[in-house]
Amino acid sequence: MITNESSGDKFKGLIMSRIVFVLAVIIALLAFLYFSRGISIILTILIQVTIFSIITMSLNLESGYAGIPQFGRVAAVIAGAFAVGAIPGRIMAAFMGLPSGAEYASDTVNFKLVPEINSLLAGSWLISLGFLIMCLVLAALSGALIGWLISRPAIRLKEGYLGISMLAIGDFFMWVGHNWKIIVGGSTPVNVPDPFRMFGADRFNVIVPVFFVIAILIFIYLNKLTQSPFGRNLRMLRDNDLSANAAGLNIVKVRTQALVIGAAIAAIGGGLYVIYTGSVAAIGLTRLTFTFWPWAYMMLGGIGSNIGVFLGVFLLTILRTMIIIFRSTWFGFLMQVGIDPLWLEYTLLGAVIIIVILFMPHGLVPEKIAPMLPSKRIKKVLADRQAVSE
Amino acid sequence: MLTVKNLNSGYGKLQVLYDLNIDVPEKGLTVIVGPNGAGKTTLLCSIMNIANVFSGEILFAGEPLTGVITHKLAQKGISYVPQMGNVFAELTVLDNLHMAGYMLSKSEVNDKSEQMTEIFPVLKKFIHRLAGTLSGGERRMLAIAMGLMKNPKLMLLDELSTDLAPIIAERVMVEVARMRDELGITILMVEQMAKRALEIGDTAYLLVSGEVRYSGKADSLLHEPKLCSMYLGIKQASGKDGAFELSVSDEGSENS
Amino acid sequence: MAPWMSSGLIYASGLALTAGSITLLYIVTRTFNFAVASMATIGFYVVYTGVTLFGGLPYQYYPFVLIIGAITGVICYYGLNRPLLYRKAAETTLMMSTLGYDLILLSLIQMYADFLTYNFKLFPRRVTMSLFDFELFGERAAAFILPVIAIGFLMILHFFLTKTKFGIAMRATIENPTLAGASGINSDRVYLVSWIISGGMASLGGAFMVMAMTGTPVMGMYTIPLMFAGAILGGLGNIYGGILGGMVIGLTEYAGVYLLAQQFGPWVLGYRMGIPLFIMAATLLVFPRGLSGIPLGKIIKNLFAGQKRGASV
Repeated sequence: MITNESSGDKFKGLIMSRIVFVLAVIIALLAFLYFSRGISIILTILIQVTIFSIITMSLNLESGYAGIPQFGRVAAVIAGAFAVGAIPGRIMAAFMGLPSGAEYASDTVNFKLVPEINSLLAGSWLISLGFLIMCLVLAALSGALIGWLISRPAIRLKEGYLGISMLAIGDFFMWVGHNWKIIVGGSTPVNVPDPFRMFGADRFNVIVPVFFVIAILIFIYLNKLTQSPFGRNLRMLRDNDLSANAAGLNIVKVRTQALVIGAAIAAIGGGLYVIYTGSVAAIGLTRLTFTFWPWAYMMLGGIGSNIGVFLGVFLLTILRTMIIIFRSTWFGFLMQVGIDPLWLEYTLLGAVIIIVILFMPHGLVPEKIAPMLPSKRIKKVLADRQAVSE
Repeated sequence: MLTVKNLNSGYGKLQVLYDLNIDVPEKGLTVIVGPNGAGKTTLLCSIMNIANVFSGEILFAGEPLTGVITHKLAQKGISYVPQMGNVFAELTVLDNLHMAGYMLSKSEVNDKSEQMTEIFPVLKKFIHRLAGTLSGGERRMLAIAMGLMKNPKLMLLDELSTDLAPIIAERVMVEVARMRDELGITILMVEQMAKRALEIGDTAYLLVSGEVRYSGKADSLLHEPKLCSMYLGIKQASGKDGAFELSVSDEGSENS
Repeated sequence: MAPWMSSGLIYASGLALTAGSITLLYIVTRTFNFAVASMATIGFYVVYTGVTLFGGLPYQYYPFVLIIGAITGVICYYGLNRPLLYRKAAETTLMMSTLGYDLILLSLIQMYADFLTYNFKLFPRRVTMSLFDFELFGERAAAFILPVIAIGFLMILHFFLTKTKFGIAMRATIENPTLAGASGINSDRVYLVSWIISGGMASLGGAFMVMAMTGTPVMGMYTIPLMFAGAILGGLGNIYGGILGGMVIGLTEYAGVYLLAQQFGPWVLGYRMGIPLFIMAATLLVFPRGLSGIPLGKIIKNLFAGQKRGASV
């Protein structure tokens, strides 16, 4: 769709001003939190923002661009988390001559092993960096595998059926991890060696920029991807899969690719999450945190726009944190009748979803209707046509 | 009875009808003919508020109809028999009639259902069968009976003869004419079987690509050789043989 | 009865009602109602509140369960579903909106549980409802009473759908909304009634299920994949398929886990969620339209008639 020059620019201008406004609100809230609670809260928020931006961007690829209702996002996150919990530690243990088989994950062995691995990591930034990269690669691979497995049955299903199947599969992986003691210790969490150990108490100060860089790299990669022919295919698929099929597009192949790439990226997010928290507790990797909240972030931010995703994640993470911090001051009246204000997080989540659906279905940053060809080429074609007709 | 003024309508964002003006006189049989895709069904759907009306007016007995929600139209005395999906296949014939008479009181419904089975004995035979098991012609009969259940003032019929064996189609046409003659119902009928429809009709409109190309007496349209052969597939029955000018003018004017 | 059978029967009856609720709402409004999760949990808490605060048996509070379930459904209809249907929203959007509603309901349920704990010194977060039941023929009474209530409910529903004017109008609207509208049937009312019935069914299902499982604020969230599995297994063609599908899923979960645990040991218990999902997947491979695609009526008739009938017109 070729939009008129000036209306296209006006649209862009509107969006830019919205983005600036939201950023201003975010900065104001952050400042408020800094002055009331100090820097550590800000760091926690920033780390969560990076991790969930990565996860939500992956969701955006599958659901925003490819139109696949991915309600089982938690499965890929779990894949990454489990991979990082189960494998890199064992590799290091084997390298150091420590037990690395099934017993690695048992509760008596694991909590003695991991501090030893950590001392090794703390001694050398090269090994730590290598370990981090190894974790990311393993997470991505395991995510890709899960993505591929999930795509097999789901590939031909439609809308509602597809969404529910993905939900069920996500649940299934959570139960497997919770019960299969060998992988990640089942109900007793396995500890994850810490590549940031050498920074000691300043650990979080370093994690923030490192995770940010990773998130930005993923952002750039996804941008390139969606502007490539593959990205056009995705949008064709989303907007009208019947005519895309008639035009020769291999729907199954494109869908599979989207699912695999999306899962790999989400798995990286999962891996980063367990590195940050230091342990893998399967029961904590719930669909609420890793499927439903990302959907809310994406819907608020704007389906199809990664910048929107970033804003959505940031804004809602701040709001959630504020509920937790200020629960006794703001919601004291609830506590007086015995009600824990933390439940308001769920209310917030549900309310955000409903409000966005009813009143701003395109989110904060709507997807601009991008022409299929870059605008320079379109201008050239128009100019040529004009020249011919004169 | 029904007046359509400057109607622009379509489905979603797709426009099908352009500035349409139609007048349906009371107690008459008005026929809409034309090639496929002309928008004939869209016209009926616009009246029933199923299609998307962009602009224009639809007046029924002086009252505006545009935007009135579909299920209220039955109350006003407008009965619509669609081309497809005109019976409830998973309900029995009796239930179908009862549904058609949804707006009537219990005794009225029973009386009218009785009446319908008298008029269409075929329905009496199958009264407890699922409508989906009836043959094509039988279903059409049921659809017409359902249309009549409401004591309509205006009936909208959409291509009733399609897919029917010629004998059955003929019977349907005869019934339609009877409804006008004996029951005094105003009928707006879209037909593919143009020749027969024009023979029984009073007024006619030729619709091509969403616009009216001819309006006037049904009889006269039959005597328009170029329009008939170009749009209606009717070989000239009366009028001159041989070559004639293929200039299409809006007003019907005979070429000699 | 073997112990797993009575629990299984109770649990499956409840699951059947919730699966039927999902199916009904889907065939009328194209909405996969995620909020069934919390509606079921609400059913449980209505009964719990009744027996702990006012005494008596769980069964006497079922009318309240139905009413509150229906009200929950009506709120969802007017607040969310109706505006979205009017806008011709996509299936995914309809489903997501019910998810939002479910999460708000969940937060309210959690707050209510807190409230009960603090003000009434109760323990509503881990409830064994069967303690409030009485014994019949050496078994929990629920194992006999619940299937009877479920069948009674179904019979009333069947009567409603086939013999009353509005019930037939509902079926007509499901089949052909355009023709139904042209006949004067108000689809808005049809949708409203379907939400009322679905809401009641979902809550009653939860009240049933809790008689055979631990009652928690998240019991609905926990079992929702099974409820959907039951509906999908049933084929989403008619409400009876959904009920049958829910029944099958519930029974296979109990029977399956019991038998597999006997065979392979107790570690199987952790994977109990996988069994019914597996059954659902397997059935869909053989019968893509689920259980409602199997013409049971015809099969039975042919068995007894003993001869093939020629194709009718």
